[in-house]
Amino acid sequence: MAFVIISAIVLALAVFGLVVGLFGFASFDSVYQNEYAVSTYHMADTATLLVNGDHLDDYLAGDMAEEYERTRTNLDVYCNKISVSLLYVIQVDRGDYRSFVSIFNSVDNSVDNTSYTPWELGYERETTNDEYRKKYKALYEQESLYETVYRVKTKDGQNPHITTLVPVKNSSGNVVAILCMQRPIREIRDARNSYLYSIIISTAVLALLASVFAAGFVRYRLIAPIRKVSDEASRFARENTKGKALGNISGFAELSRLASSIDTMEADMTCYIENLTRVTAEKERIGTELNLATRIQAAMLPNIFPAFPERTEFDIYANMHPAKEVGGDFYDFFLVDRDHLCMVMADVSGKGVPAALFMMASRIIIANNAKMGKSPAQILADTNASICQNNREEMFVTVWLGILEISTGKLTAANAGHEYPAISKRGGGFELFKDKHGFVIGGLDGVKYSNYELELEHGDKVFVYTDGVAEAMNRLGELFGTDRMLGALNEAPEASPEQILNNVLRATNEFAKDTEQFDDLTMLCVEYKG
Amino acid sequence: MLNISKNISGDKAVFELEGRLDTNTAPQLEAELKAALGGVSELVLSLEKLDYISSAGLRILLSTQKIMTKQGAMKVTKVNAAVMEIFEVTGFADILTIE
Repeated sequence: MAFVIISAIVLALAVFGLVVGLFGFASFDSVYQNEYAVSTYHMADTATLLVNGDHLDDYLAGDMAEEYERTRTNLDVYCNKISVSLLYVIQVDRGDYRSFVSIFNSVDNSVDNTSYTPWELGYERETTNDEYRKKYKALYEQESLYETVYRVKTKDGQNPHITTLVPVKNSSGNVVAILCMQRPIREIRDARNSYLYSIIISTAVLALLASVFAAGFVRYRLIAPIRKVSDEASRFARENTKGKALGNISGFAELSRLASSIDTMEADMTCYIENLTRVTAEKERIGTELNLATRIQAAMLPNIFPAFPERTEFDIYANMHPAKEVGGDFYDFFLVDRDHLCMVMADVSGKGVPAALFMMASRIIIANNAKMGKSPAQILADTNASICQNNREEMFVTVWLGILEISTGKLTAANAGHEYPAISKRGGGFELFKDKHGFVIGGLDGVKYSNYELELEHGDKVFVYTDGVAEAMNRLGELFGTDRMLGALNEAPEASPEQILNNVLRATNEFAKDTEQFDDLTMLCVEYKG
Repeated sequence: MLNISKNISGDKAVFELEGRLDTNTAPQLEAELKAALGGVSELVLSLEKLDYISSAGLRILLSTQKIMTKQGAMKVTKVNAAVMEIFEVTGFADILTIE
């Protein structure tokens, strides 16, 4: 980066130097040329004092030879003294200014390494150059004080020079001749070159100094702080720990702001990472606990089958598949005494940990009531009373509870807002049994329930379940429904309770294969074999 | 998904529910009801377009029913067959005022 910046500065300086040099050179050139023209004019004007304008025609006529010679000598001396290469006086034909006659002609070939031969008095010559003719005319008609002809770039090998033309007047003020002075402009060229050299050298020196200064500046004031920031940023990316604060690392507000942004970012990020670590740890802990809770819940339900291997009068099978880690469904079965098998199927409102807690409490209360030998309706009523006492969250549980008298096959049951049981009698298919319903448990205090009785015969089966079975949903949003459930039950109504549960489970899984299991799936089936 | 459109004028509030009222959507209805019920003495829940109600939804109906019993009355109207079956199975048909 430093190299790019320094190169850019040097380039900018070079361009700047070039532009300044060119403009300076142009204005220097024009001022210098003007000044040179004016000073040459003064020299030429002074020369006219040496020439007597009243006697020019006499000189041409060959008269006043002595005065002519004196004047010529004076002009020669003057020409030599002031270092001009030519000094001549001519009388121009005023008709069309196309020719002139030479009067005086002083030559100093040593001045500019020229090889002029002086014109004789009376030498006539054509003027082919229109520029000269215009200037002659302007001077004769007194339109200007003097005229200058520049020959800066000469073609014929001559050195650059200027020719200044001034009028020679007689005593009555009329222009009678023109004095021309040719002066080398070597000085202009020399001055111009030295000016150019000084510009180039000073620009180069300045550019060098500036680049050295810029290099130092860029390196110590810009690059060093930026490198500090970038080093710190990459260290942070690597280590993810808060480092020593960069603080105020530069006099430039932008760099300081960048550094303090990095400091703030590091602080925020470290804080964020700490939070994240803590939250993740917390989440892992909760996950572990939920896992444990699931295992506790599963262990609470009777889950060793066959459950009563020594009892040949009935066969029972049940299972539960919670939708979330812990569920609100539960089943239960136990022998109240040697002749009475109590079976419970229940579903707590809601899901997850709250439902599971409520389920545990409900299960214990129901079992305790049942073991006191009460009728199903009484068990439910008493359970409802217990739960309603301390149910601020207004959770409730639907319960089907049946007690089978093993010796006679008489099933006494009561239903607290739970799904209809499905019953298969005498080897026929399963049908829903629309039993009498009471209100859910935990909803309202003082609710009464009623018992109903069924006579079970050998091979009769009762299937109870939770709404997770009937309400399993497929990708299209259709519910599994009790009709499909009965269909699954009746695939093999004569099969063992375990096989029947597997059939239903397989059917619901096939139905809802692409969707997440929405609700707990809990089922229980008992076959009377007495 | 559950869409709730409510119309409260004075002490009468009408809630129309559309979609599914289950574990996921019940908290939404609970919050809306909680915010609206102050000063309401007559609450009507119109369930014509309610496709499904789960036990979590029933819990909201039960707690709302309890609140409304104290400050007025709650009616459930236009109950369709699917939801009515759930009300009957769970015994809610007996405790709700269904029209």
